[in-house]
Amino acid sequence: MQRELHMMFARPLYLFASVGVMLLSTFFFLTLMRGGTAENMPVAVVDLDQTTISRRLIHEMQATPSVDIRLVTNAYPEARLAMQQGHIYGIFVIPEGFYDDLVSLKRPQLDFYVTNAYTVGGNTAYKQMLTMVNLTSGAFQREVLRKKGFTDDVIMHRIQPLTIEGHMVANPWGNYSVYLVSTILPGILGLICLMLTIFAIGYELKMQTSHAWLRAAGSNYTVAMIGKLIPYTVIYLILGLGCHAILYRFAGFPVYGNHARLLFGMVLFIFAMEALGITLIGLLPTLRDALSIGALYSMLGFSLSGFTYPQMSMLPPVRALTYMEPLRHYYLIYVNEALMAGPVVNTIRPMLALTAFLLVSLLVAPRLCNALINQNYPLK
Amino acid sequence: MVNELRRIFRDPGVLTIFLVATLAYPLIYKVVYWNEQITDVPVAVVDLSHSPQSRAFLHKWNAAPDIRLTHTCASMIEAEQLLREQKVHGIIYFPRDFADQLADPLGQAHISLYCDMSSFLYMKAIYLSCNQVMLEDMRNIQIDRYEQMGIGKDMAWALVQDAPYHEVALFTPTGGYGSFLIPAVLILILHQTLFFGICMLTGTAREENRENYSLRNLIGRAMAYFLVYYGLAAILLGLYPRLFGLPHIGQFGDILLLMVPYLLAVIFFSLCVSMFIRNRESGLVLLISSSLIFLFLAGISWPKEMIPDEWWYIACCIPYTFGAHAFIHINSMGASLAATSTEFIGLCIQTVAYFLLACGLFYLRRRPKAL
Repeated sequence: MQRELHMMFARPLYLFASVGVMLLSTFFFLTLMRGGTAENMPVAVVDLDQTTISRRLIHEMQATPSVDIRLVTNAYPEARLAMQQGHIYGIFVIPEGFYDDLVSLKRPQLDFYVTNAYTVGGNTAYKQMLTMVNLTSGAFQREVLRKKGFTDDVIMHRIQPLTIEGHMVANPWGNYSVYLVSTILPGILGLICLMLTIFAIGYELKMQTSHAWLRAAGSNYTVAMIGKLIPYTVIYLILGLGCHAILYRFAGFPVYGNHARLLFGMVLFIFAMEALGITLIGLLPTLRDALSIGALYSMLGFSLSGFTYPQMSMLPPVRALTYMEPLRHYYLIYVNEALMAGPVVNTIRPMLALTAFLLVSLLVAPRLCNALINQNYPLK
Repeated sequence: MVNELRRIFRDPGVLTIFLVATLAYPLIYKVVYWNEQITDVPVAVVDLSHSPQSRAFLHKWNAAPDIRLTHTCASMIEAEQLLREQKVHGIIYFPRDFADQLADPLGQAHISLYCDMSSFLYMKAIYLSCNQVMLEDMRNIQIDRYEQMGIGKDMAWALVQDAPYHEVALFTPTGGYGSFLIPAVLILILHQTLFFGICMLTGTAREENRENYSLRNLIGRAMAYFLVYYGLAAILLGLYPRLFGLPHIGQFGDILLLMVPYLLAVIFFSLCVSMFIRNRESGLVLLISSSLIFLFLAGISWPKEMIPDEWWYIACCIPYTFGAHAFIHINSMGASLAATSTEFIGLCIQTVAYFLLACGLFYLRRRPKAL
């Protein structure tokens, strides 16, 4: 262990990689999504009608805080170009003859276009468009009914006889940052654990220093492994704790369930990623190959954990693969403890799965031990 | 250049990253996001009104492909329990007075939706489908009410439908998650595999003490990478979208033109960064998390309008930012190359800037030997 501490400080890469990358990512993701919710995506209005009423309508829309009209034009191609250039996410078209049709009760049709090439931007623009349609439609009904002599109060309930109240459970603000960062940051930490564990062991093989390492540990594989990993584990645990503290104490992300169990989930997740590292370098005792596979494996974890695209919508074989990703299990613990405050069994099951990763890493011990003694694998 | 090409093809690690990772990774992503849209999100129902109206609403709603009504609960407590246990991802709740409020000409009825926020896509599916059913129902109720007010049926129809609207989702008709994400990922894969590969090659050269910091070497290496990657980019961006049924409405010629400054910018950017890499593995360890940062920094999943200015300035220094936007504009939205001139010029500026920076770094490295 002392030898490892020495090596660790002799190569600033280790410290920089783990602490630096983690700090940078935390800072990055928390500041990037400062706003938390996407709103007021810029849209364009194409006014083919060019009458007082269409202009008044646009004016009214511009005064609505949840609508951001970036461009008002009378030519559709101009709006389309603006969309293709990425300036706007939606186009609202007021058709020609809108005013005439309206007064003669001919039901003019409004068209709107939203882009699907950008998911969040497009969805937000879509909601905005619906607001704009409702504004138009409500304003018109109000006008007609007023002329018929009804009071505003009576009119309101006739225009809106049915409402939907949305409740976003556990994230009432629909905060994108809470949703995304609370899985991405642990994911990055896990990725660092995995890569550095592979690196720490694989480097001994590459440099053919594994004999010296074993000697320092009294030729005992278990002692050698524990001695090597303890210093890193301490760093990871501090980072994990720090990550937890930053997210749930300082950034104010909600935890509706049990803090201790969520934190314990993080600890197990870190252990599982280290164990996965040992497994990979044990199976492929060539530093480079193990690192490449590790990179692929952990990057896929972000998709396979199912926090953006739900696991239930994946193909069955892919769904089976998700169980091989520790991040998936950590995500389940997070959902259950932080968001749902669900039954403890839903936390214990993924915790057991994470423990299984530790057991699997024991299986490769004989093979890795052999590699350390014989150094019989290609160095490059 | 020929030497570098030989080195690329003799180095199994680099070859794996350059060829196998580049060509195989998109396939994996396509498989993961195969279904594109999520369907049949399980939802629990709490209907305290027990009315024909609420049942009719549920009946229509259940027909929507996005959701499936799996549980009927007697109380909110029961439904919440199901949500906590993750058996359902949403709850729809009709209050006791739902039918009465609808029948009352002055009443306003409420429906409450509770959505699981562990994935935003659940919320989208539940909300949108409920909204569609509601709008339809609302029309009928409004017409009834107007008739009660003594407004004729035709007039009532016209009023309710005064401004019917027609919505069009442009560019990716399925509106799927994969159609959105995979084009951005294709560009990221080109960026990152090139980045890692160059860092590895520089690291190896450093380990073997055969560094060569002449200008000729710099240009030769860049040309070698460019040759390999231009072919790869053509396959990845030309063939894959067609093969996978992803959006591809742009001019392929425009995409090929765009790739010239994009790949050059990435190559010189990577060469600059690789000057700080000591051996071939450390690059991979350090830079692996950059993929996620680049993806978010570029303002693809998180809209660029919402990115704080300071981060956006940094984003503009990364070739991926311009490359991804330009590719999405051309490939998924059918823009012409002229329409993406901002990004195109940005890439050209980056190419020149990183080329000069690389020359400078090479020069600094060379000088101590000359002394």
